[in-house]
Amino acid sequence: MEKEKMIQELAKIVGKEDVMTSEMELQLYGYDASLNRGRPDCIVMPASTEEVSMVVKFARENRIPVVARGAGTNLSGGSSPTQGGIALLFTRMNRILEIDVENQRVVVEPGAITLDIKGAIGKYGYLYHPDPSSEKATTIAGNLGENAGGAHCFKYGVTSNHVLGAEVVLYDGEVIEIGGKSLDNPGFDLPGLLVGSEGTLGMVTKLTLRMMPKTEAVKTMLAIYDTIADGANTVSDIVKAGMIPTTLEMMDNLTIKAVEAAYHVGFPEDAASILLIELDGLKDGMERLTDEVVAICKKNNVREVRVAKNEAEREKIWAGRKGAFGAVGRLRPNYLVNDPTVPRTRLPEALAQVVEIGKKYNLPIANVFHAGDGNLHPLILFDERDKDELDRVHKAAFEIMKLCADMGGTISGEHGIGVEKLKGMPLIFSEKDIAAMRNVKLAFDPEDVYNPGKLLPVEKAA
Amino acid sequence: MSNTEKLASKLREIVGEANVIEDPEKLKALAVDGVIPKVLVSPGTIDETSKVVAYANAEKLAVIPMGNGSKMALGGIPRKLDILLSTRRLNRYTDYDIANLTVGVECGVTLAEIQAKLAGEGRGYFIPLDPQHSQRATVGGIVATNDSGAKRFLYGACRDFILGMKAVFPNGDIVAAGGKAVKNVAGYDMTKLMIGSMGAVGMICEITFRITPKPDAEATLLFPFDGLKEAAGFLRKLLQSKFYPASLELLSAGMAAKLPATSALKGNFIAAVALDGIEEAVARLKKDLSEMGRQEGATDVVVLTADGHREFWIAYRDIADPLAKTHPNFISLKANFALSKVMEMVGAFETGFKEAGLDGALFCSAGNGILRAVLPLGDDLGAKTAAVVGLIGRLTAESVKNGGNLIVERAPKAIKEKVNVWGQTRSDVVVVRRLKERLDPAGILNPGRYVGGV
Repeated sequence: MEKEKMIQELAKIVGKEDVMTSEMELQLYGYDASLNRGRPDCIVMPASTEEVSMVVKFARENRIPVVARGAGTNLSGGSSPTQGGIALLFTRMNRILEIDVENQRVVVEPGAITLDIKGAIGKYGYLYHPDPSSEKATTIAGNLGENAGGAHCFKYGVTSNHVLGAEVVLYDGEVIEIGGKSLDNPGFDLPGLLVGSEGTLGMVTKLTLRMMPKTEAVKTMLAIYDTIADGANTVSDIVKAGMIPTTLEMMDNLTIKAVEAAYHVGFPEDAASILLIELDGLKDGMERLTDEVVAICKKNNVREVRVAKNEAEREKIWAGRKGAFGAVGRLRPNYLVNDPTVPRTRLPEALAQVVEIGKKYNLPIANVFHAGDGNLHPLILFDERDKDELDRVHKAAFEIMKLCADMGGTISGEHGIGVEKLKGMPLIFSEKDIAAMRNVKLAFDPEDVYNPGKLLPVEKAA
Repeated sequence: MSNTEKLASKLREIVGEANVIEDPEKLKALAVDGVIPKVLVSPGTIDETSKVVAYANAEKLAVIPMGNGSKMALGGIPRKLDILLSTRRLNRYTDYDIANLTVGVECGVTLAEIQAKLAGEGRGYFIPLDPQHSQRATVGGIVATNDSGAKRFLYGACRDFILGMKAVFPNGDIVAAGGKAVKNVAGYDMTKLMIGSMGAVGMICEITFRITPKPDAEATLLFPFDGLKEAAGFLRKLLQSKFYPASLELLSAGMAAKLPATSALKGNFIAAVALDGIEEAVARLKKDLSEMGRQEGATDVVVLTADGHREFWIAYRDIADPLAKTHPNFISLKANFALSKVMEMVGAFETGFKEAGLDGALFCSAGNGILRAVLPLGDDLGAKTAAVVGLIGRLTAESVKNGGNLIVERAPKAIKEKVNVWGQTRSDVVVVRRLKERLDPAGILNPGRYVGGV
């Protein structure tokens, strides 16, 4: 379809001001937080489910791809319109529709910002648990699309554990309800399937989330080590003792130095690793559990354990962790972050191999990781303008994915496949596994309207 | 050679002589809603299962999987049944990694067996599932029907702690999904599609669970109440507290009468609250909750610990089993609803039983928004059919009004023919049908039994 005509038609649906087409805008909405670049043909900002449905109907009839976008923080290229088409931007659909305290659910629009939702329900004494580090900016539907995790998942799970229902616009514009405020609605667990589908199955226009009462007590600890292995072994010993902390987060020396330089949170710059531990629950017995954790740290040669004495100290510890990516980003012009996962007990081994891969390709790699979940975040630092270096980055990233897959892990824990990890899919899935997923895509979107070219590798010619 | 002989002979080639049964008398006893299978086959491996299913697909034969048969009454009446596929020989452990808190098993292992094994490891572990049929249910059946129990309030359901799966799809493909990582967003989350799918698009053959360390302390508090308002109000207050008990259950007097621990308690409703946690926390909860219960109108507080606590919850899970044995026309219903509607739901069910002149009893997971009711009908089904069908219709409407739906988990064929066993049809049935058509185009897996009649 001719571009001018397309823009006219879309303007009829959402209004002229809510279709953007300037060169600068097309560039701005062409990329995300990954290294991928795409370019939409236009950017459309619907204000309601009806408008989304009409835009999608129009797109389908005219064979135009539709790529959902929230805040553009995606780390795998999932929100980059690599095949052009409509970038469907949900910034106008950002309301918190209902805080249903009686039923412990919050109903929100897709463009609502994660931290805003938390703030709104926090006033009622409730929490929404998933907490991706980018939660200040991320939209909730983006969290749904990537099954976002965060630093509290060891106890509370990821986004899919907390999304209970949604309103979805199907590829043909039909609007359906999946799941709901109640559990166990009859039929397939479609919310479970939609979470992590990277915008390839349907457009979510409303979400129903679980909210849980705040726990009575929280204890946050920071343990400082002279080796990485001591920190990782502490994690294993805590789990072996039968405890389920909300948080078991680690960072290595390069990250510690970067964080300290950026935020001055009091991390010792010569430490090999830092482990952040958080316990929650009733206040009864919390002091004893804290003592036990400290004892386990000591058994594993900890240099120092700091127990946050108040909310200010706790926030300071967390600021260091939440800002880690940003701090590391200051070290070189670019970084590529992967998010593979290994069985927790193999973390020290996996990290040692990541170090070797860094040496092999002569690239600095900073490590921040969700140690409890076995989820690595190697940040490979480079300068995009150096083509040779960029080439080495991609090779190193692939090798890291492969080593984790070989250890019985997976290639993506929380950032998604997008376009960046398509090549890695055969490392963990057989052709038959992928064929089954392809059938799921075809059942939802037989004409490939939604986010074409993402998540599933192209079918091999028969 | 008759078609059945041909089928049996082909299956024997795949699974061996001893694992195919075609004796009509034996098969008659295995009928699903009166539909008698042509053959019972018990594959010994996932590969054999794949071959059986691929053959069925090529020949367009209907396959219904079965574990120990505890939930065969669930679902619509099968349109067709050629091969009843027993999972009992699929009983291996495929992963046993206590340090990483994961266990993988084939579908035919009973949950009870795994729990016993895990209890003996180190400090003691378990899969945090406490569904019906505590001793008989196989994990395949539990996961395929997404069954859950009271402790779901604290620990979640299958979707929250199943990490990976292997399933045989209708074309015979062995499809692996997920893995053993807690965080996994590589490709579609096919495990979610399979949980509760009743094998409509693939037969679940292997499951990897995240296991949980056993709590240091456990106890149960029972609170008899005279009025529903007080009982529901107490549970609601607990639900919104920071106390996080393991379960928040409500029993009608009719149901309480069927359990040894509650039969002697005087009250029209009994609240049963399980506590799991560290010693200090459980000690405090015992004290604080007892006080809170009395303040809210409980006429007594009974504390169960050790064996008393364990036995109570086993009996609670198995409450329907003896009734199903003694009442050939036993009916079991499962309703879901929005959490705040406990009083409305329990009230509607109790009134419904009375008005229909039926002897029903119910128990309700106030923390999960799930209510189960049993109607142990006698032999005179004919006279009661209209009343039962009317009641199911009214209760379904009531459940939908309260934000949920109603599933007939078990009922005689004469009732099933007259009601929608999956409750009121929802707008997402269009996707259920599209997935079924795409993944099982020949319609061989459980035809007619799942939502939307697929």
